[in-house]
Amino acid sequence: MADLFSLTSDMAAISVSENYVVLMLCSMYATDMSRNSEDPVFNQIEAARTSMGLSRQELADLVGVHYQTIGYLERGEYSPSLVLALRISRALKQEVSELFSLTPRSEGK
Amino acid sequence: MSKKNKIYWFEGVTEKGVRALLNEEHSNFTWLRSQRNRRCLVLIQLLGLALVALASYFPSIRTNLNLSAQTELAIYVVTAIFVVIAVFGSYSLLRIAVRGIADAPEELLDERQVLVRNSSFRYAYFYMGYLVIGLLLLMFFGPELTLFEPTGNDGSFLLIATLMAFASAPSMILAWRERDI
Repeated sequence: MADLFSLTSDMAAISVSENYVVLMLCSMYATDMSRNSEDPVFNQIEAARTSMGLSRQELADLVGVHYQTIGYLERGEYSPSLVLALRISRALKQEVSELFSLTPRSEGK
Repeated sequence: MSKKNKIYWFEGVTEKGVRALLNEEHSNFTWLRSQRNRRCLVLIQLLGLALVALASYFPSIRTNLNLSAQTELAIYVVTAIFVVIAVFGSYSLLRIAVRGIADAPEELLDERQVLVRNSSFRYAYFYMGYLVIGLLLLMFFGPELTLFEPTGNDGSFLLIATLMAFASAPSMILAWRERDI
């Protein structure tokens, strides 16, 4: 009886360990850091920035973010908050609706 | 930026330190920022932590392998040196590689960095949960451990590795996941 109990507890331990590894592996790539990955926001930031002759760093300084964040925005990998969108549109002297859209434009992302 | 160097006691960082790391572009460590190198650092850190944890079971391993005293000493010294370099060195380099975002206070980060930092803490919390479950399984079904005992398996190494894992998990997740830092 004791052996049977030991065997059952060993099997339970193996089963728990397997589930544990599977859980870890499943959750590893099931994540997204985008604000709203299911509904992307397209933008014309890169085109507007280059037409004004600004570098990413210069635009970043104007709107108060890190220059990598401008890169993420331009690639469409990050959707800005309303405040940041307004700051960017002010820095690039364009309307928010001209810069951002829910559907892709011909030259935008 | 104010001239006064504000200290963030909760995060354990200073304003100048965080700003320097966030805006640093031409240091000797910029090569660390590629995703491949960051991932290598994470793997070294994980290996180091695993070895620290394994040190708890060194008496059992020693008995089972029947090693000579010299071989034992050599293994112990080489492992100890590697572990110190791997754990403390890679932790320091990891913080530089991720620009210290994981430890930075909210007011010094932009909104994307805050999102990324919070997200990495969220996943670190989950992974640490799994780690604790793993440790519990190890305690129930693994070799016997005692704390701060000179003889037998000393669980303090496992405890140190766990605490280091807790401290470095957000930076490791950030380093692994982010494309550009």
